[in-house]
Amino acid sequence: MLLPDTAFDPEGFLRDINQWSPDVAEQIAASENIQLEAAHWEILYLLRDYYAQFDSSPAMRALVKYSAQKLGKDKGTSLYLLKLFPGSPAKLGSKLAGLPKPDNCL
Amino acid sequence: MPLHTLNATPNQSAFAQCLRMLGPQDALLLLGDGVYGAIKDTEAAKALQNSGAELYILEPDARASGLEKRLAECFKPLDYDGFVELSERFPSQQAWY
Amino acid sequence: MTQTKKVLLLTRHAPYGGSLARAAVDAALAAAAFEQAPSLLFMGDAVLQLVSDQDASAVGTRSHGRVLESLPLYDIDQVFVDQTALLEYGLTSHDLAIDVILLDDPAMRQMLADHDHILSF
Repeated sequence: MLLPDTAFDPEGFLRDINQWSPDVAEQIAASENIQLEAAHWEILYLLRDYYAQFDSSPAMRALVKYSAQKLGKDKGTSLYLLKLFPGSPAKLGSKLAGLPKPDNCL
Repeated sequence: MPLHTLNATPNQSAFAQCLRMLGPQDALLLLGDGVYGAIKDTEAAKALQNSGAELYILEPDARASGLEKRLAECFKPLDYDGFVELSERFPSQQAWY
Repeated sequence: MTQTKKVLLLTRHAPYGGSLARAAVDAALAAAAFEQAPSLLFMGDAVLQLVSDQDASAVGTRSHGRVLESLPLYDIDQVFVDQTALLEYGLTSHDLAIDVILLDDPAMRQMLADHDHILSF
């Protein structure tokens, strides 16, 4: 079941983090023209974990370091994350994971 | 005899002013930054206790502070319904912030 | 090549009463994102920002202490704390969410003197 447009803010971020589900991620991915593969899901769940732990969405620097800690050095690089989430991985990843827009996304 | 609500830390002037006006027939509810006045074994908590007033603390705000387990027992935790009931018991209210 | 200016971020307010504590941590994280990690000094009521086990879900905001736990991920590894203020609140460094370095007043004055810029919140 698709969420109505009102569930998202003008930039497409989910207003209520608790409304997130894999189906909602697919819905957001469709609007961003991204095909979610296993590698994407791994990062999306990592972002959900980050939010549960730190009550905030990570900026790029923290996402890279956290990925390296949790998933190993190969995946904890800007290049790896940029390949999965082109442009701004922290911002796009947070959007797909149903998190608020990162405050420090400059 | 008013109900005082205090939303300021012991380092703010509102805290000292509230303390000066707090009488033994009054009640005091700590909320927001006021909850930091209830930490066990601090000068602030002792001073509030010495006023002789009935002492309450808003539970959601105490939980936010992370210090719920460190509070002096003389502050009775209230939820929002308890706050409403307390307000009904007192003819007037003074908010210190 | 210009030498990097040393920036001190001085925060003095409790976590939830106003927006200053949140503005301070946002500024610290934003600066760190640009590889300009400031020194962080928590003075006075700001020591309350660091208390562990904060749960702000019931008051509808994020738990400040948990956000501060992410500082190492932004390569901010040294956090300085006003030892006198901590003592006034009956707390020790064991009550705090992250590892900190306690400073007395002369050491804090020295910190202010040692930095090129001070951001005050």
